[in-house]
Amino acid sequence: MTAVIQTQNLSKWYGNVLGLSDVTLQIEPGITGILGPNGAGKSTFLKLITGQIKPNIGRVMIHGQNVWNNYAMFAQIGFCPEQDSFYEELTGWQFLTNLLKLHHFSPEDINAKAEIALDIVELTKDKDRVIRSYSRGMRQRLKVGQAIAHDPNIIILDEPLNGLDPLGRRKIIRLIKEYKGEGRMIVVSSHVLPEIEAMTNRIILIHQGKVFAQGDIHYIRDLIETHPHIVSIKCSQSRLLAEKFIGYDYVLKVHFDLQKKSLLVETNNRDKFFSLLPSLFIDNNIEVEEITSPDDNLQAVFDYLIGK
Amino acid sequence: MTIKEKGYTHWDGELKDGRFPWWPITRFGIKLTFKRKFFKFLFALTLLPALVWLVGIYISERLEDFSFMVRGDQTDFLNVNPSYFNTYFTNDFLLFMMIMILVFCGAGLISDDLKHNALQLYFARPLKKQDYLFGKAAVIFFFLFILTLVPGLIFILMKLIFAGNFKFINSYPWLPLSIIVYSTLLTSFFALYTLLLSSVGKNRRYVAILIFGIYIFSDIFYGIFYGIFRSQYFSLLSIKVNLQQVGAVLFNQRTPQNVPWLYSLLIILGICVLSGLFLNKKVKGVEIIK
Repeated sequence: MTAVIQTQNLSKWYGNVLGLSDVTLQIEPGITGILGPNGAGKSTFLKLITGQIKPNIGRVMIHGQNVWNNYAMFAQIGFCPEQDSFYEELTGWQFLTNLLKLHHFSPEDINAKAEIALDIVELTKDKDRVIRSYSRGMRQRLKVGQAIAHDPNIIILDEPLNGLDPLGRRKIIRLIKEYKGEGRMIVVSSHVLPEIEAMTNRIILIHQGKVFAQGDIHYIRDLIETHPHIVSIKCSQSRLLAEKFIGYDYVLKVHFDLQKKSLLVETNNRDKFFSLLPSLFIDNNIEVEEITSPDDNLQAVFDYLIGK
Repeated sequence: MTIKEKGYTHWDGELKDGRFPWWPITRFGIKLTFKRKFFKFLFALTLLPALVWLVGIYISERLEDFSFMVRGDQTDFLNVNPSYFNTYFTNDFLLFMMIMILVFCGAGLISDDLKHNALQLYFARPLKKQDYLFGKAAVIFFFLFILTLVPGLIFILMKLIFAGNFKFINSYPWLPLSIIVYSTLLTSFFALYTLLLSSVGKNRRYVAILIFGIYIFSDIFYGIFYGIFRSQYFSLLSIKVNLQQVGAVLFNQRTPQNVPWLYSLLIILGICVLSGLFLNKKVKGVEIIK
């Protein structure tokens, strides 16, 4: 498949702070996830490919054309920034139509497009409410709405699931997947692996301003599988549960967190470990209060992969 | 290049040629300003001098009807000449009211965008930085031209209509050009001055205080320094006096201060250039590093 976005030796720094360093990659049509811990350079990368900031070195090409200062190209790009960018006193409808006016559509087209976008992000009912009264989820959806309203071929979403409740996340994920089905190209960033996993299996790992890995999510998963995981379990009989865990060779360590009153288990095979849990709980009649993975975040994986 | 087609129906409307990409920004700014509390009242109040001057032009052509109002020599009463125009364009009340208009319409022009992180949304669209800045400046041009250029040209038109001949314009053929040049200079200066201050903070109230404060204090400092050193050169510190100096020259009048008017012009142009350079650097897609 032909790459739509190409970057060559892309570098950006802010004074002494390195934003992105020597990134050369190609992004093909479909959904691509940009994954990296906070401060990795994801937002910098997205702003570079949307032509909002100028690279210090290198260039970004979309459809073979340089993006920087190519304003006509911006009509094909829909960008959803990470931060809220609303005039709170405007209604959702006013916000969208005002932004659509910048694309020089006719008034009829502006209304039609705003209607469609609000319908897609399920805000039609609330379009006449001022943004100040919107919930976090509605704001996120409106932000996605402004990115898709002008029918762009390329949609860039910077952490669109940030701060959303599970229902809100599901709505946005479904929306992104539907958009892919319509033949668009979507680049979405996140620092949470399962979020990206729910949308795509093609990811780019960014860490400390560099592309750390690029490819299929299974490749990343394989890397992660070899990384020992800590799982925290809060339950009624933690000592009994600890005794049961000892018998399995993929359980490496078990210890008690007295402060949090939980059992911490380290395993080098997360999938096997999690499939074991239900039967252990049921067979031993253990009531579970909470299961969490304290290190199930990208920073831990990156630290492990770079050998920290 | 077509990426993929999976049943997606592309929009088949017509893409309008963006000849005035700044216009949506200007229209939005004007609309928002009129929504502000008390603005309509303030703006109407600002138009009061124009109304008074217009009535003056009418009376000047009907002096015999109003002779009961005048005692003594009538020859100097309401003599409509370049001095009459100069007094309108450079009077303290009008300049002060313009500052009040700037406080209402200009303080939030960029600061609100900074506060709401809106710049990244603007610049993710087919909009150049120059279009953005021009769109913002055009909001100020709109309001200040209504107070300067439009009344100035109407005054001339009304003078000709009331007089019923072209004697006035034959006597001062350069006057329309003076009005256009002074209005443009004054409005451009105030536009850049306001945008500069609006871009330095995210809080519109803070910016409003700056717009008002710098104008007022520049005049107060002139008064203080003049009081101490008795040198009229300190009038160069005052925004108001600099504008009045240049205005007087453009309307072929004696300058109010005994200081070369060129210095005042250079100060005004210098502030404009520095403001432009600062705005060009300051206004850009916001990058947040965590």
